[in-house]
Amino acid sequence: MDLSYTEEQNLLRDSVKKFVDDHYDISQRNKISASDEGFSRAHWQQFADLGWLALPFDEDDGGIGGTPVDTMIMLEEFGKGLVLEPYLPTVIMFGGAINAAGNPQQRAELIPPIIDGSLIATFAYAEQQAHHDLNNVVTTAIRDGDNFLINGEKSLVLNAQSAGKILVSARTSGDSQDPHGISLFIVDAAADGLTRTDYPTVDGLRASEIKFTNVRVSDDQRLGPLDEGFGIIEKIANRAILALAAEAIGGMQTLYEDTVNYTKQRKQFDHPLSEFQVLKHRMTEMFMEHALAQSLCMKANMLETQGSSETQRTIHALKYLVGKASRFVGQNAVQLHGGMGMTEELRVAHYFKRLMVIDSQFGNTDHHLERFVA
Amino acid sequence: MDIEFSQEDLAFQVKVQDFIKQNLPKGMEMWTKRAEWFQAMRDQGGWDIAKWPVEFGGPGFTPTQRYIFDMEMARNSTPPQIPFGVGMLAPILMNYGTKAQQDRFLPGIRDGSVNWCQGYSEPGAGSDLANLQTRAELSADGTYYTVNGQKTWTTLAHIAHWMFCLTRTQSTGVKQEGITFLLIPMNDPGVEIKPIITLGGSHSVNDVFLTDVKVPVDNRIGEEGKGWTYAKGLLIHERTGLAGIQNSVLGLAKARKNAMSVKVGAGTLMDVPAFRNKVGALEAELLALEFTELRSLASVASGGNPGPESSIMKLKGTEIQQRVSELNLEAAGIYAAAWGAAAGPDFARGATSAYLGTRATTIFGGASEVQKDVIAKNVLGLG
Repeated sequence: MDLSYTEEQNLLRDSVKKFVDDHYDISQRNKISASDEGFSRAHWQQFADLGWLALPFDEDDGGIGGTPVDTMIMLEEFGKGLVLEPYLPTVIMFGGAINAAGNPQQRAELIPPIIDGSLIATFAYAEQQAHHDLNNVVTTAIRDGDNFLINGEKSLVLNAQSAGKILVSARTSGDSQDPHGISLFIVDAAADGLTRTDYPTVDGLRASEIKFTNVRVSDDQRLGPLDEGFGIIEKIANRAILALAAEAIGGMQTLYEDTVNYTKQRKQFDHPLSEFQVLKHRMTEMFMEHALAQSLCMKANMLETQGSSETQRTIHALKYLVGKASRFVGQNAVQLHGGMGMTEELRVAHYFKRLMVIDSQFGNTDHHLERFVA
Repeated sequence: MDIEFSQEDLAFQVKVQDFIKQNLPKGMEMWTKRAEWFQAMRDQGGWDIAKWPVEFGGPGFTPTQRYIFDMEMARNSTPPQIPFGVGMLAPILMNYGTKAQQDRFLPGIRDGSVNWCQGYSEPGAGSDLANLQTRAELSADGTYYTVNGQKTWTTLAHIAHWMFCLTRTQSTGVKQEGITFLLIPMNDPGVEIKPIITLGGSHSVNDVFLTDVKVPVDNRIGEEGKGWTYAKGLLIHERTGLAGIQNSVLGLAKARKNAMSVKVGAGTLMDVPAFRNKVGALEAELLALEFTELRSLASVASGGNPGPESSIMKLKGTEIQQRVSELNLEAAGIYAAAWGAAAGPDFARGATSAYLGTRATTIFGGASEVQKDVIAKNVLGLG
């Protein structure tokens, strides 16, 4: 057994860390978040130049052939700076789907522009009636000659306003909750019949509600086999959970470290807060929650890299544990910063909001605990 | 022991319920017909100042009547009063102010024409309030104080006409003994207000900078150096009012209703055991907390003290408020991220900001950690 990082992995971590240190203090982040697209195209190009956008793709497709562990290393560092660039929707979700199920033509057409930074893309999967259930899909794709017509509404589509392509899940047969009968389509973001309402999310990112009205797609735009899209969705969801968990773990580390530093400086009753035992214990618990979540995140990513049969169950445990830890660390970081923790001025509040949002995506703590024990 | 209210108290409860039914503004009128509502309360004989003593125009409720009155008002979400004047300064004026000060300030407090804010917390004086450093120096002729310093977390300072303020007039000796209670007009050129934006993105608290503000000695309450004593009684009063039990009862009912509107599989979110159990656990704890409040009330009503169990009200009540808001956040599901946007069910739009906002309840009015120290010391006799 060897749980140490390779030299390449250490270099990757150092270069991401340097980027975050140089470009992501909280005032820089606030500025980027408030800009037109809510992220920086210049940063995105830098990601491309550094090879980060190529990381998880196969070498045959022009990628670097990195493992889930490599992605984890990068996302954990992103999480420490609350990086806003659309790595999750473009590379992990859309790119992950093409990587998992794309035919040679789709791979050749779509992976190179992701790698060179020219294509932002996203995945429209969430629907209001579904709550956290990915198999609950009522958006329909009805065959019309050689084409399909897509009708329905999708929620919380990340970075859709910047996307050139949108991967859409739609029902081609079966009832609303049947895992069988869901198909995936690669839709041009400018397609006729597609309307968006864009908005900033609580954590300073961008998302859209999207309405599809007779959006016409050809059979060539279908990703993977007809009616059998759910397996691909599960794969993307697992990769997204692994990425979000790593990001949350980076965020939690910033939060407990900030809290430790703040309580050393803040004096009340003639002593630094850090000298009060109840607060020392609380911060120790924050550290413990973080360490345990980090351990499980490493394990899950290693199992995913191996393609182990234990992976799915471990990912349920991970999302549960990360949600629980995030809540404890986030809430106590605010509590121990006192009134200051309630302000937009300190970064604590921003990390707390991001952790909350992560818990709400791809199933919350209860959702995954139920599946873990099932 | 008798678990029921007396016939007289039950009759009073019906009276309050009828009054609310007849007078409570509906929907948007909650904002436009506020003045009419408070006028109707006044016409009942001091219901707008339910806690004031009879000699100052209060209704003379018994402790039980006051409990029933507060509970019915909260249950029906009647328009809230800004507490600083009516609830916080007025009792201090009545107990420690001169007749002239009472005549000058109480009418404006009662009719709502003068807004007050509370100038207590400072950057270096939060949980450790007695550490406050805002200086008030008496002029050589003894006619006015010159005040310099900074207050923070000052709720609604930006709409206040006056601030009641704790200042330091002596910096040697015991911290608590050099504090003086002053009333400061907010339109003084030396008063500068800077908004603090909180994590819900809203503005209700402020920094208030005081630079060479001249305050006539007539605006001092009681004696110089005794301000801590005057304020302390009020702080205890503030804390007992912060449990927000009826709000939590209402909030929990709403969370249950919201969860029943969220479809999960073939049922709703209320059919999901993990969620349903959290709702149930909160309901059980709220029943216990409600009855804990009644125990204190019964003790006071029979002429005793509130009893040691009353000390837990703020601590437990605020924790429950936070957990109730968390349920709504979970019910909002993915739309927790979409706060303020036209996305998802209507209730989800307020769920995130409410959740973020309630994080403050275990910080203000005495952080939970400090509350536990106080209970350990005063109730359990631990150091």
